[in-house]
Amino acid sequence: MFTAPSRPVSRFRMLLGTLALLGALAGVVGLSELLRHPHGDVGTAIPAAEGDFRDEIVCPDHPAPEEEVDGERATGPAVPVSSVDLYDCPTLYDGLLVHYQGEVVGALMHRDEGAWTQLNDDLYAGAAGPLPAHREYRGANAGVGVLLPADVAEQVQTVGGPRARGDVLSIVGTFHRVDPQSRESAVIRAEAGRVERLGRPIDHEPLGVRRIVGILLALAAAAMTAAHHISIRREPLREIPKPAASP
Amino acid sequence: MLFRPDSRDFRLIGLYGSRVLFGVGLVMLLPAGLAFLWGETNEGWGFVVAAGLTVLFSQGVEWVSHTEASLSRSHALAAVGSAWLLAPVFGAVPLLLSGHYASYLDAYFESMSGFATIGQSLANDLDHMARSVNLWRHLMQFMGGQGIIIVFLTVFAGSGGAIGSLYVGEAREEKILPNVVNTARFIWRVALTYAVVGVSLLWAALLSAGMPVGLGLYHAMNLFMAAFDTGGFATLSTSVGFYRSPLVESVLLPIMLAGGCSFAVHYQLWQRRGFEITRNIESRVLGLSILILFFVMTIGLARVGTMTDAGSLFRHGFFHAVSAHTTTGLATVPGRLYLTDWGVLAPATLVIGMALGGMASSTAGGIKALRVGLLYKGVRRDIRKLLLPENAVVVETYHAGSRRVLEGPQITAAVMILLLWLLLYLLGTLVGLFYGYDIQSAFFDSTAAASSGGLSVGIVRPEMETPLKLVYIAQMVLGRLEFLALFVLAGYVTAMVRGRA
Repeated sequence: MFTAPSRPVSRFRMLLGTLALLGALAGVVGLSELLRHPHGDVGTAIPAAEGDFRDEIVCPDHPAPEEEVDGERATGPAVPVSSVDLYDCPTLYDGLLVHYQGEVVGALMHRDEGAWTQLNDDLYAGAAGPLPAHREYRGANAGVGVLLPADVAEQVQTVGGPRARGDVLSIVGTFHRVDPQSRESAVIRAEAGRVERLGRPIDHEPLGVRRIVGILLALAAAAMTAAHHISIRREPLREIPKPAASP
Repeated sequence: MLFRPDSRDFRLIGLYGSRVLFGVGLVMLLPAGLAFLWGETNEGWGFVVAAGLTVLFSQGVEWVSHTEASLSRSHALAAVGSAWLLAPVFGAVPLLLSGHYASYLDAYFESMSGFATIGQSLANDLDHMARSVNLWRHLMQFMGGQGIIIVFLTVFAGSGGAIGSLYVGEAREEKILPNVVNTARFIWRVALTYAVVGVSLLWAALLSAGMPVGLGLYHAMNLFMAAFDTGGFATLSTSVGFYRSPLVESVLLPIMLAGGCSFAVHYQLWQRRGFEITRNIESRVLGLSILILFFVMTIGLARVGTMTDAGSLFRHGFFHAVSAHTTTGLATVPGRLYLTDWGVLAPATLVIGMALGGMASSTAGGIKALRVGLLYKGVRRDIRKLLLPENAVVVETYHAGSRRVLEGPQITAAVMILLLWLLLYLLGTLVGLFYGYDIQSAFFDSTAAASSGGLSVGIVRPEMETPLKLVYIAQMVLGRLEFLALFVLAGYVTAMVRGRA
C-alpha cells in the first residue's frame, strides 16, 4: 500500500472480491438466522414492558404495607415489593419488612446462618418462562439476593437454571441496603416463606434441521481442511522470511 | 502517495487473518463436546454449525490467499484488524443459535464484548442460559485476553519473526523475550499456571460458600477466565454478588490484579525478581491509583450513607476499585445501585478507574498505567527544566524491567494515545446523550465499553438503540487494539477506493 505495488488489482476485481467476502458473511448470518431456535408460542398474554431506563425514578412517599402478613414469624405488616422497587428506591425500603416473590435460580448455598440464593421476579420467572422457549425478549434478569431460613430452604425442590424452572418462593423478610451481619448489599433477610409454584424440568425439543446442517458443515469443513493440507504438502509454502526491521 | 493494494497485500492479510479464524473454529469444538456431555444437544449442534462455518470460511480464504511473500508491518496490522472484526462474526453464531439473543447484532455485540474482554452483555435471561453457551462467552474472553493473534499464530504460523508485527498490532507494547514465539509460550505458561492455582482456590472458596461440587468447578472456571482476562462476564446475572461470599471476592482480587499486570512484570516475578513490583513505573502508578480511588470511593459511599462501617466500605469499595481499575468489570452489587444508591462520587471513581485501566501488555484496557506514569514524569521533567538554569540538562528516568531514560517521542506518543482515548470515551457519551440518557449514565457506559471496564449502570441492555450498539462495538474493538491496527485497515480500504495503480 505504501510502496509502489508490482501488480495492482483492478478496481473491478476488488469489487468482486469485496462482494464475495460480504456474500460469504451474509451467508453465515443468514444461515444462523435460519437455524435459530424455533421459538414456540408462550401461550399466555405477556404484559408489555414497563418503563424505560431514561424515565425519572419516582419513589413513593410511604410504602403501603399489606393488610395480611404472609408468614408465621413475621413481626409486622410487610410491604409488597419487586426487585425494581428495591433497586430504584433502596433507601426507602431499607430496614422495612417486605413481601417478595421470585424464582429460585443459580444455586442454593447452605451456610450456618441459612441458605443464600437469588430470587428472580422477571418475566422469565413468571408468565413467559425461561428462554429459549419463546421470543419474548425482555432483557437481563431481575432479582434480589435472599438469605432463607433453613426451614424455608428445605422446601425448595428445584433450583432454576439451564435445565429447569426453579420453584417460585414467596417470602417475608427485612430488606437491607447493606446487611449489618453479612455486609451484603441490597439483600432480603427472610423470616418466613413458602413455595408458591413448584419448578419443573425444561423440555428441549431436538432440532433436527440444525443437526443435519451441523453434520453436513462438519463433513465439508473436514474435507476442505484435508484437501488444503494435501495441497500444501504437494506444494510446501516456503518459510516466510523475517521482516527487515524488528517491530 | 497512496497506492492501490496489489494481490500480494490481500493474500497476506487474508492468509494470516484466516489462520486466526481457523483457531477460533477449533476452539468451538470444546464447548461443543461439553454440550453433548451435558445433554445440551441443540447447543452442541449449534457449536458444530458455528465451527463448521468458521473452518470452511477460514480454509477457503487461506486457500485463495496462498502466498510466499513476507509479512510487512502494515500487512500485519491490517491482518490483526480484520481478524478482530471477523472473529466475533463467527463467535456470535452459537450465541444466536442459543435463543438468548434478540438479533444477530446483539449476538455480535456480545461476541465482540467477549473477545475484547469488555464484559458488557446483551444476553436475555442469562440465568437460564445453557452451560456450554455460557462457557463459550467466557472462552471468548480467555482467547481475547491472551490475544487471539498471538495464541493462534504461534501454533499455526510457525515463523516467529514474521509474526512479530502481529504481536505489536494486538496492542502489546513490548516483547518480553527476544523471540515472539517464546514470548507467546511464556504468556501461555503464566496463564495456565494462574489458571491451575486460581481455579483451585476459587473452587475451594465456592465450595465453602455452599456451591455444589460440580457446579462450583464450572463457576470457578468461568470466574477465573472473567477475572484473569479482565473480561467481566459472569455466569449469572448478578455477577460476583450472587455468591455472597467475602472469601470468593478475596480470591478474585489477586486474580484481577494479576490480569491487570503486564506480562513483562509477570516475567520479572517469574525470574524471582520481586523487587520489580516496587520499582516498576506501572505497578507503582497502578497501585497508587487504586489506593487513591478506593479512598475517594469510601468517602463518596460514606457521605451518602450507602455504607458506613469500615468492613462494608473496604469489602465493596476495594473490590470495585480493583475491578474497575483493572477493567475487569465484576461487581458485588447490582449495577442499578450505582445510580440510585451510590451517589455521584463513588461511580465517578469507577469511571476514572476504568478510563485509566491496567498495565500495558496486560489483558486490561484503558489508557494504561505506563502512559499515565510517563506523562507524570514528562510534566515533572518540564517543571524541573523551568526551575533549573537554562543550560542545565534534565534527565528523567523510569523503571520498566530496567532503568530507562525518558525520551521526548515517548511523551508525544503517550499524549497522542491519551487524546485518542479521551475522544473515544467522548464518542459513546455524545451518542448516549443524543438518545436522551443522562450524562452520568452515558459517560459511565461509554467509558466501560471503550476501556473494557465492563461495568454498566443499565444503558447496555437488549432494548438499547441500534446505532448506540454499533458505536459501542466500534469503541470496544478500537479500545482493545488501541487504534493502530484498525487505522491501518481503514487505510487499506481507503487505498482500495482512492489509491493509484
